[in-house]
Amino acid sequence: MARLPFTNDIRTLRFLSNEMTQGELGERVGVTRQTIAAIEQGKYSPSLEVAFRIARTFGKPLEEVFQWTEPEK
Amino acid sequence: MSFREKTHWVALVALLGAFGWYFANYPWSIVDTRAGVYAAIGMLIPVTIIFLIPMVIGSAWFAIRSPKEANLKEDEREKTIHMRGTHLAYYPLVLGIWANIVAMINGNSGGVMLNILLATLVAAELIRVGSQLYYYRRGY
Repeated sequence: MARLPFTNDIRTLRFLSNEMTQGELGERVGVTRQTIAAIEQGKYSPSLEVAFRIARTFGKPLEEVFQWTEPEK
Repeated sequence: MSFREKTHWVALVALLGAFGWYFANYPWSIVDTRAGVYAAIGMLIPVTIIFLIPMVIGSAWFAIRSPKEANLKEDEREKTIHMRGTHLAYYPLVLGIWANIVAMINGNSGGVMLNILLATLVAAELIRVGSQLYYYRRGY
């Protein structure tokens, strides 16, 4: 599977949010625990809506949760 | 493993068990006769039972063990997996329909055509469930 052109800091942000579990984050965002795990591992590219919901859960702007890593052409 | 992934595994095993039994035990020597058609229809009753029993028991068992997950609606990733699997299952369906058209033009018996239809259905379902399990495992 092709690597996604962005990384994320969800794991760190969960840890900093009273060690929130993947299940708890999933519940707040409206997705399953497995989907949060897939996003964290860079195996699934979430929709813009879910990305915003995750960022809002942590009270952060989108760019602090997801970072574009592909070199610009 | 999510509730849906577990029920997909049960479906795969039930499908292989039920239709594996059917294709292994169908009386192929009478496939070209009227009795061949009735044999296929008659065998579909135990096939349905063999398929449904593990599905019902498995789904109930997993739902009892994790009721919260069982009541969750499909999220966006699961919907994508669902759609991808259904899309891939379209191809064996088309091939099966063409195989049946060819069998019809060749004047094959009703028993042959019925079995081609059943094989088409099984192949499409195996591709659908199998590909969905693959995407669940891969983390798509």
